[in-house]
Amino acid sequence: MSRSTKGWLFTLLGYTLVLELMLAAAILYWPNFRDNLGAVKLLSKPLPVLGDIIAQVESMGVAAYVVGQHFFKGCNVLGAAAAALIGAAAVAGEAQRGTLEIWLARPVTRLRLASERYLSGQAVIWLGVFLTTLTIPLLLTQVDEIMRLDRLMLCALHQCLFLGAVYSITYLISCASSEPMRISMGVLFFMIFQFGIYMVKTVTHWSVYRLADIEVFHHILVDGVLDWGIAGPMLAINLAGFLGGYVFLKRRCP
Amino acid sequence: MPSTTNISSKGLTRRFGDHLALHPTDLEVGPGVTGLLGPNGSGKSTFMRCLVGLVRPDAGSAVIDGVTLSGDGVEIRRQVTYAPGELALYGELRADEHLRFLLRGREDEAFGRAKKIALILGLPLGQKVRNFSHGMKRQLIFAAAMAPDVRVRILDEPTEGLDPTKRSEVLELMAEDAQDGRTILLSSHHLGEVDAICENLAFLDGGRLVSVENAQRVRERTSQIVRIWWTGGAPKDAVQVLSSLGEEEVKLQDDHLMIHLTSSDPRPFLKRLGDAPLPAPSAVEHGRISLALLYREIYGVEGV
Repeated sequence: MSRSTKGWLFTLLGYTLVLELMLAAAILYWPNFRDNLGAVKLLSKPLPVLGDIIAQVESMGVAAYVVGQHFFKGCNVLGAAAAALIGAAAVAGEAQRGTLEIWLARPVTRLRLASERYLSGQAVIWLGVFLTTLTIPLLLTQVDEIMRLDRLMLCALHQCLFLGAVYSITYLISCASSEPMRISMGVLFFMIFQFGIYMVKTVTHWSVYRLADIEVFHHILVDGVLDWGIAGPMLAINLAGFLGGYVFLKRRCP
Repeated sequence: MPSTTNISSKGLTRRFGDHLALHPTDLEVGPGVTGLLGPNGSGKSTFMRCLVGLVRPDAGSAVIDGVTLSGDGVEIRRQVTYAPGELALYGELRADEHLRFLLRGREDEAFGRAKKIALILGLPLGQKVRNFSHGMKRQLIFAAAMAPDVRVRILDEPTEGLDPTKRSEVLELMAEDAQDGRTILLSSHHLGEVDAICENLAFLDGGRLVSVENAQRVRERTSQIVRIWWTGGAPKDAVQVLSSLGEEEVKLQDDHLMIHLTSSDPRPFLKRLGDAPLPAPSAVEHGRISLALLYREIYGVEGV
């Protein structure tokens, strides 16, 4: 097994396992949460946005709770962190450790190197989300609930486009930089800031997390289709990040 | 000028910001071993990286084994092997895994040949590269660069950091490889390290090509230089006495005298020195010359 495959599998396994553990814990806690919804609602009063989330769960039931726990909380937090770390290390990591020259010096086109590195990162992020989403119906049987898998997979696709956009922007910066730590910290701080402003009623509409929150996922669950008004631009950012990264890598000196 | 040119650069130029790292460089290299010599920062690595397409030249062109440098240089890199001067490797890999990594894009047989070369050099292929010394890493990169069946090899400081025994083994492998009609362009900042196997030497300084000469001619020129030391410094009349012996040029250099002989055979001069009315020298050096001295004394380039 090659070095890159080993590293890739290790990252995928770690990321998926943590996501799955968070998901399982959340779903198994659902009966308690449902029974104490009133108390939770009272607790969320000081934070109006949190109150809105609780109200959504109250009206939509387990579906809002699951997409909230898995996509909005689990994937948006852990996935964004993974996107920042994997994307930042993609090329800048090679430069920092000094291996950029031997990586580029082989008779392999830069387009191929750029594609492989980009897609392997995307694959970790996407597979983690899809694999864990696949287990939701099974986990729900433990709490006597059901959800449609096809609708959940559409939510997963939307979530992946969102995380993919974060990854693609990070990858683009990585292709032009030699400091993966700075990039990942910068992206992480930005995402934490975005999560922070999501919770503030007056500025919540400025947060990128509005693009992947319970409301968005609820529409997908109900309508059974992606909202291309949101998914389209996210897909475009994914492609632009890759192409921009390739342009930087093409001109890059070891 | 080489009869068959396998590496040809015309006006190859590279600038990094305000610094012109490589002035327009014309160089033609034919079969055999050619040494690219120059001190650190003289532009050797930049020139080599430009040749293999790792650094995009700002101007000029290069043709290697009939392939013109263009795009990301991948077509050129299929025709040549390149051993980088930088020694950063993936420490978590075993040496054999690392050879596979380095040989990606090469013919399948190259891996077997690389392992064979690595074993000749005594490298433990089952060991993680992080446990390798500087010299062992250098040899691993060398083994990967020598394995593919190509006609041109470009090796950036392949003997740097090697002990004298390993250096000889590496030079021997290169000389054998060149005997099969291959072209090897190697760089070094030590004249004496590589010149023994080189047929031609190209000298760079400050990003400029100072000279390209037949290595035998350079050896002859360096063997025309004799340096003499006396305990307590050169006697006051030493320059006058030695000049009268008929040598081309006698110069006082800090603590010793430098004499340019009229021929590369030092014996007649040494005999006259023995007869001269001077105290016995504490040391006499002949034919050993640093790159800095060569640049200053032969090419008139100061400050190297």
